[in-house]
Amino acid sequence: MLENSIFGMLALFLVGGSVAMISFKETIYSAFSFLVAMLALAGMFALLGNSFLFLAQIMVSVGAVVVLTLMVILTINAQDENHPQEPYKFRWILFTTVLVTPIAVLIYKALVTLHLHFEKTKEGYGSLKAMGETLFASWVLPFEAISVLLLAAMVGAIAIGRKESYFKKQEYFDNYDKKKEDAS
Amino acid sequence: MIALSLIVILPFFSALILALIYLQNPTKNREKLYAKLALVTPIISTILSFVVAVQLFSSPHDLILHHTLFNWIDVGELHIELAFMADRLTAVMLSFITFIGTLIHIYAIGYMRGDAGYGKFFTYFNLFMGSMLLLILADNPIIMFVGWELVGLSSYLLIGFYHQESQNITAANKAFMVNRIGDFGFIMGLSLLFVVLEGNGYSFSAIEQHIDSVDRGMLALIGGLLFIGAMGKSAQIPLYVWLPDAMAGPTPVSALIHAATMVTAGVYMVARFSFLYIEIPQMGEAIALVGAISALFAAIIASFQDDIKKILAYSTMSQLGYMFIAVGLGAYSSGIFHVFTHAFFKALLFMGAGAVIIALHHEQNIFRMGGLKKELKWVYIPMLIATLAISGIPPFAGFFSKDAILITAFATEHYTIWAMATATAMLTAYYMFRLLFVVFHSAPKSEHNLTKLPSSMTKPLIVLAIGSATAGLLGVGEAYGGTNLFASFLALPDTPIHIEHQTEYLLDSINIILAFIAIFIAYKLFAKHSKYPLQTLPIRSLIVNKFFIDELYSIIFIKPLLLLSRIFGYVIDEKIINNLIFLTVGGYHKSATLFAVLQNSKVRYYALYILIGVSLISITLLKLLGDL
Amino acid sequence: MVAEQFFILSTLLFSIGLIGVVSRRNLFVVYLSIELMLSSVNLLLVTFSRLHNNMDAAVIALLLIAVIAAEAALFLAMIMQLYRSKRSLDSDSFANLFQGKGKI
Repeated sequence: MLENSIFGMLALFLVGGSVAMISFKETIYSAFSFLVAMLALAGMFALLGNSFLFLAQIMVSVGAVVVLTLMVILTINAQDENHPQEPYKFRWILFTTVLVTPIAVLIYKALVTLHLHFEKTKEGYGSLKAMGETLFASWVLPFEAISVLLLAAMVGAIAIGRKESYFKKQEYFDNYDKKKEDAS
Repeated sequence: MIALSLIVILPFFSALILALIYLQNPTKNREKLYAKLALVTPIISTILSFVVAVQLFSSPHDLILHHTLFNWIDVGELHIELAFMADRLTAVMLSFITFIGTLIHIYAIGYMRGDAGYGKFFTYFNLFMGSMLLLILADNPIIMFVGWELVGLSSYLLIGFYHQESQNITAANKAFMVNRIGDFGFIMGLSLLFVVLEGNGYSFSAIEQHIDSVDRGMLALIGGLLFIGAMGKSAQIPLYVWLPDAMAGPTPVSALIHAATMVTAGVYMVARFSFLYIEIPQMGEAIALVGAISALFAAIIASFQDDIKKILAYSTMSQLGYMFIAVGLGAYSSGIFHVFTHAFFKALLFMGAGAVIIALHHEQNIFRMGGLKKELKWVYIPMLIATLAISGIPPFAGFFSKDAILITAFATEHYTIWAMATATAMLTAYYMFRLLFVVFHSAPKSEHNLTKLPSSMTKPLIVLAIGSATAGLLGVGEAYGGTNLFASFLALPDTPIHIEHQTEYLLDSINIILAFIAIFIAYKLFAKHSKYPLQTLPIRSLIVNKFFIDELYSIIFIKPLLLLSRIFGYVIDEKIINNLIFLTVGGYHKSATLFAVLQNSKVRYYALYILIGVSLISITLLKLLGDL
Repeated sequence: MVAEQFFILSTLLFSIGLIGVVSRRNLFVVYLSIELMLSSVNLLLVTFSRLHNNMDAAVIALLLIAVIAAEAALFLAMIMQLYRSKRSLDSDSFANLFQGKGKI
């Protein structure tokens, strides 16, 4: 009973936050709604007995991703005129909802056919110790691969995010000879 | 007998040589060379024809000479050889065609002097000779048809010889097209004949053997269709409209082609197919009726014409009508006899007319001529003989041949045909003497400055005059004590006629009297002062305008055809079909443009397209899984 | 608490994320919707881990969180760069990137 009501509340925040996120016109409001949804999701993880992931979700998804997003939004500081004017937003959302419904139904039906139900979990389920054991016993290779991925992502982010003046310098070098001709 | 092939091949060969020499340098004046070359092969053909004729004369009457050149078509049941055959009919036709052809070649050497296309003329002339001989000597109907077409081609080339004037080209086209319409009937007849004979061989002798196996109705149809071809070639109603316009060609052409030879091809064809026409007397009567109507019609028009060559053209059409009366009623020998005599005097008349035209610097209206009796004596006398012959005055040739035909008509109780033919005979005498009197006797309208005529033009006239005078003696009928050498030589399957000698004398006298009356009327009207008679008669303008037949044909046939052509050319082809094609092409363009709209390079839309695809797949899967 | 609740929730979140990706023009909303889709998969994985009563799926979910973080970095760098070149957050305004000029 308690579980169901907690589940209901968390689900409310989750779904409500997501819907709000895709509906708001202002970017910051979307970001904050996303924050709410992520927090609710962390709560879901906790409800499912996985304390480690509850913490990990808050640390990464909220603490890193959302914070970074907010930082970028505020750095860019786009004014209202630079925001896209989306006159047909709700029509699009409606149309897309109609298209997405069969996909959702299909996925749900696929999941339902598994006929799984909750059982009593063993001792220490979801704790850091159990996670660590599984992670470093069977999933070492993906773990290492993920670390390489993170490295690549870092390098890529730095490469993409350079200032334009660097490119402008390249342009300058490319057109140097042409400029010489124009001058003479 | 190889002479047969040589007779045909040599003119073609010399035409080729002349063409090559002419084309090598068209502008160089080589008249003497062309004249010599052109004359060689007709002379050789004439000699060879006489050899053939003598050979046949001294042999039993059913001897047929053959010569095969090669197998032409050999497809399934169709087996046609390029072969020549000569029986007595062929021999007769050959003799006068080659003889008169040679004379006219000599005449043309003088007539065409000074013309820039001298070499071209003789090329075409020799081509014509070869074609006509091919037609005559053919062993089977297909080869005859090849000759038939080639003669039509030569006629077209020669009519349009003075091609700088567009009306001559129109006349040539008209001749060819009307001929073609006749040829359509001819081809249909030949094809039907081939089908009903069911592959039993296709030469004339083979057809003759198997003719009994064909049902009479089919035979009548074939006979009628073949006669349509003859109608076109020999200018009978309704396919005669090309003959007066064909006078646009040089006079030797008119003399040879449109008087003596090509136009008689139709009559020859009927005589050649006599074994067929014998079986279908009703079709024969129809042919005779068409001939009679054409004869009368042409005679009426000729009485009011004032162009010397057009008078003679209508006269030819009229005489051809006589020939068809004869072969239609089964008197094949009389028909061919009239062809024979007619060739002599008609060629002579045309050549004389050509001489007069040249002498008066290309003047063709008889009412501007006059009083040439003294100055052109050696043209006047032959033409007088020819005019007497054509009017049927004994003892000249026309009397015997024409009266044989009239007797046949009377004796077989076709009195309408006889009446029409007699009326035509009277009119013939009238208009021919009208021509003679106006040109030679009447007072000249103005001073004439005559060009000197070369002897190559006057000598053939004399030869032909002798022929016109005496050729009739070959066919003197029994009533006058002769044995009708001609008919007995030909041995064609004539329908036997029984008529009392008394009746025959009576009818012939009627003809002579009518002819003299006509001559007298013509003399009264024209001999002293030529003027147009009967000016105020309202029917006169109808006749002078040739009964407006040309205009009628134009309205009924030509204008609708042109309209149809214009519709097909400008509306259907240009607008409809082109637009259909453009529609297809444009359709592709438009649909491509439509699809191009989807490619607007906005990522969101592409994501939407992916979503649509996945959505459709999901729906399909849900349906397949059975629980939508 | 039955498994179907979580399944419905997970599917719902996924579809909301999908809708957001396709229908919004704002680049940030597109990014956040992608994140939402990934998170819904995370939820599903954790549910399965609980259902099967072992930690394998949860470990995968952990690794997936790391991927989310990496992706965040890249995505935001890209947004920065795009904004610099076109001064707009509208995904429709980048329509001529395809013409191969190369430089953003």
